[in-house]
Amino acid sequence: METFLNILISGILLGGIYSLVSIGLNLIFGVVRIVNFAQGEFVMLAMYATYFCTMHLGINPYLAALLVASLMFVFGLAVQRAVLQPLQTEPMMQIFATFGLLILLENSMLAVTRGEAFSLSGAYSSVVINLFGLKASGVRVVVFIAATAIAAALMLFLQRTMPGKAIRAVIQDRQAARLMGINVERAYLLTFALGTALAGIAGALLAPIYTLSPYIGGNFILAAFAVVVLGGLGSVPGAYIGGLIVGLIESFSGYYVDPALKQAIWFVIFVAVLIIKPSGLMGQVGAEEVGLREQS
Amino acid sequence: MTAITQTLTNGQRAGSGPKPLAEMLLQYAGWLLLSLLPLVLVWNKPYWVNIVAYSYLFAGLAAAWNIIGGFGGQFSLGHGVFFAIGAYAVARLYLDLGLTPWLAIYPAAGLASMVAVLISWPTFRLRGPFFAIATMAINEACFAVANYADRLTGGPRGILIPFRASVANMIFIERWKYAVLTFGFMSLVVLLTVVLRRSRLGHYLLALREDEDTARAAGIDVLKVKLIGMAISAALTGAGGGIFAMYVRVIDPPTLFALPDIGVKFALISLIGGIGTIMGPVVGALLIVPVENFLRGTLGGMVPGGHLIVLGIVLLCAALFLKRGLVGAFTAVLRRYWHGKAP
Amino acid sequence: MKLISISRLTIAAFVICASVSLVCASETLRIGAINPYSGPLALYGDEVARGYEIAIDEANAKGGVVGRKIELVRGDASSPPQGIAAVEKMAGQDDVEVFVGTYISAVSNAASDAALRYSRVYWDTNALAGDLTERGLPNFIRSGPYANSFAEISATATRDLLAPALEKDIKSTKVWIEHEDSIFGTSIAELQKQLLEKMGAQVVGIGAHNYRAIDLTDSILRAKAAGPDVWIETGYVPDGSLLLRTMRDQGFKPAAIMMVATGDTYETFDALGSDFLQGITVVGYPRADQTEVYGPGSAAYLAAYKTKYNREPIAPQSMTAFVGMQMLLEAIAGAGGTDMEKLRATAAKMDKPSSSYATGFGVKFDEKFQNTRAFPTVVQWQAGKVVTVFPKSAAQPQVKLVNLPRQ
Repeated sequence: METFLNILISGILLGGIYSLVSIGLNLIFGVVRIVNFAQGEFVMLAMYATYFCTMHLGINPYLAALLVASLMFVFGLAVQRAVLQPLQTEPMMQIFATFGLLILLENSMLAVTRGEAFSLSGAYSSVVINLFGLKASGVRVVVFIAATAIAAALMLFLQRTMPGKAIRAVIQDRQAARLMGINVERAYLLTFALGTALAGIAGALLAPIYTLSPYIGGNFILAAFAVVVLGGLGSVPGAYIGGLIVGLIESFSGYYVDPALKQAIWFVIFVAVLIIKPSGLMGQVGAEEVGLREQS
Repeated sequence: MTAITQTLTNGQRAGSGPKPLAEMLLQYAGWLLLSLLPLVLVWNKPYWVNIVAYSYLFAGLAAAWNIIGGFGGQFSLGHGVFFAIGAYAVARLYLDLGLTPWLAIYPAAGLASMVAVLISWPTFRLRGPFFAIATMAINEACFAVANYADRLTGGPRGILIPFRASVANMIFIERWKYAVLTFGFMSLVVLLTVVLRRSRLGHYLLALREDEDTARAAGIDVLKVKLIGMAISAALTGAGGGIFAMYVRVIDPPTLFALPDIGVKFALISLIGGIGTIMGPVVGALLIVPVENFLRGTLGGMVPGGHLIVLGIVLLCAALFLKRGLVGAFTAVLRRYWHGKAP
Repeated sequence: MKLISISRLTIAAFVICASVSLVCASETLRIGAINPYSGPLALYGDEVARGYEIAIDEANAKGGVVGRKIELVRGDASSPPQGIAAVEKMAGQDDVEVFVGTYISAVSNAASDAALRYSRVYWDTNALAGDLTERGLPNFIRSGPYANSFAEISATATRDLLAPALEKDIKSTKVWIEHEDSIFGTSIAELQKQLLEKMGAQVVGIGAHNYRAIDLTDSILRAKAAGPDVWIETGYVPDGSLLLRTMRDQGFKPAAIMMVATGDTYETFDALGSDFLQGITVVGYPRADQTEVYGPGSAAYLAAYKTKYNREPIAPQSMTAFVGMQMLLEAIAGAGGTDMEKLRATAAKMDKPSSSYATGFGVKFDEKFQNTRAFPTVVQWQAGKVVTVFPKSAAQPQVKLVNLPRQ
């Protein structure tokens, strides 16, 4: 029983990691409708930036998260403006461009660091929470709490604020939104920057957990896409729950089946869910179709 | 006699009807012969012959992808699965049954085709980027399975094909013979796409690329068309995978399922060359593969990842400035030229 | 008569030199080093090449080899087709006469095969897969340890070092074998299982994981459930660190932890800290802190690295590469050149006892041209530093084991 609970908790916390990484992507994918291959690299950049702030500037990593997020926001603005906006009418080329960006970012980091594996060291990264014999790593609990808080905050933003509502409108129907007077380009800009900033927070909070490498972004990206699509495009609660589901499936199949097959298993489940419900678990039915037809 | 006529993408004039198939085949055969030029130029430099051979192979693979990705608009990033099936099947048939690869390619292609139909049937419910992501997920799942099923695939060790040169074994000492082989493969695939484009299936594929719902409303059995297109594309990709297996002779899951080197590369080559065009994949491959290798050869040892930094910049610039691919840019220039020249 | 003879001789000499120069077109002897210099293993490729450079500098300072200066040419390759392309470029275009490498076994496989078409020797210093020597390729020679060596040392160390420290007999020792799932981890793990079972140890389970996994809690929980005394893991740095962190988080405390091939560098130290690492043993490439008796010249190597690169070596693979290059240069000197048949024949006759080189290796190739006197050593983390502890002759005399069983 204790093992089962341990796996359950581990799955939930892993889900928190997936959700945190996917939240930014969910926004970008839902609004701007591009397969942003470089999203994992944004997380990677944020991790290195956090490492730099923590180890070389002595800033507390959780404070560094705010700094890094702001920097990533600006970076996202730049990328959207310079690379994606000119390619708005060519979605295939956008994919291609983000792929080029992925290669560029990965290898620039490799050139700078030579590929040495960095880790954030510090007492806080080894904190273990112990409740009734069940153990959880402190930094992962922080990630889970952050994912939940951010998901809640984002939902409020999208529901209650004007820019948020504008973004939701663009998710539902680009053309109609434009007709309603919403500046779609500005919505894209804001969304992409926000999505990048969220990747920044994810990177900052994940940095204490992992060993940094220029290629670590690639470890997250496919899972992040799967979570976003599984949860439902444009649905923040969907991405959050999707992340938890993926985390739980991975955790349980890893323990009860075989750690070597867990990826294959949840990929298959992911494809199966999509086939049954293409709009994802909580996405608006047809949302993914309607936006797609509009290409200009 | 000017205003009424308008040029179409491949230089035809509207109103005079499409060219007869034989003429089109001849025209593209001409272009293909022209693409032999790089091989002729470097015939005595084995380094470059190797690269050109590889380029032809990838041109063929990209052209195969183009059938469903370019004509059909179904952006699959999981074609690595069919590539791997072809490679493993040919390797196994050759090693275990002693079957010559020239024949083994057919069942390998058939197997790839069947698997393609099986996994695409449900997956074709998805569209656009969703479909792309699902295919990537399938690629990753197959990677894990290939690693695990070591009785079939040799697991992480992979399959090693020993060197026994003979035409029957499809193993050659001289690289130029491989180049001829892959050129043949590429030509076959390209000419097939010409025939396909002109066929009813081709028109259906183009129709559903433009607007799937309208195509369905017009009475096209969309799923059937997609599946047939995918089956053909997968079969050709599997055949290419078999040739790859006999060329490199070291096939393991990391080599076959790597998305950036295989699955995504087919799409990338078509995109750069001109997606949905006939010669686009050829142009794209003859550009990307040599450039990538040249960069790796010159910069690869100096700065870690240096050549890939340059490649990333090249890709970004190509995406930003060559939006319709190289063939698209070329025909756009041609069109402008003709317009200017019209009396 | 003399004049005619002299002019004839001159002409003959000229013709000979001209034809010889067609074969070795330059004064410099070019050695091609094929390794991943980009991609996730770029660091190791670079470290290995640095080892080569130091050996070459040393040789060049003494006038090179067979009277020629040596130059290292790097060929980046992370996959078999890239390996082939690198060989084609270097053999076909850059006048490379002999190849060394290669941190990825699949690359070594394809590249050595391609090198054979040019009749060039492929002298592998670092690739681990058993197939490389099993296939009997006539140009392939491996100077360094391979999967078998790592498996053997880990099994022997479990029996002779860990079990006694835990006050157990090997037959009552429970072992969990964890490994990353590519050819690297899988081949070593398979052999470890065979050897340990032959020794009578109880292998309570084998776990495979992907080195890029985001979470490895399942692997740790499975191992924990099996209750091993010794936990042996073969993998890379990212997964090794994640596993150790997860062990700490989950409170999994086997009496002894042994990492294989990685886990002995500052990268792991930064991730886990000296307290957690205390007592963890690592089967790895020999290090420069060995005794001079066991590994003559290891201190000199360390000094040379520091001088040339301004820092300590990051990965001990570089010293193995250094020694491998030294062996190659000796073979070339003995063969009078890089001709494949002669080099092979010279290598076959090489016979130096263990502890002839900085790594403690000797050289004696078996019929498959695997060096039978190349072995990794075992180190232990003690107070934040790695200290060689096994074999006993390699360890400094005052060294003792710490924290076994693990507290």
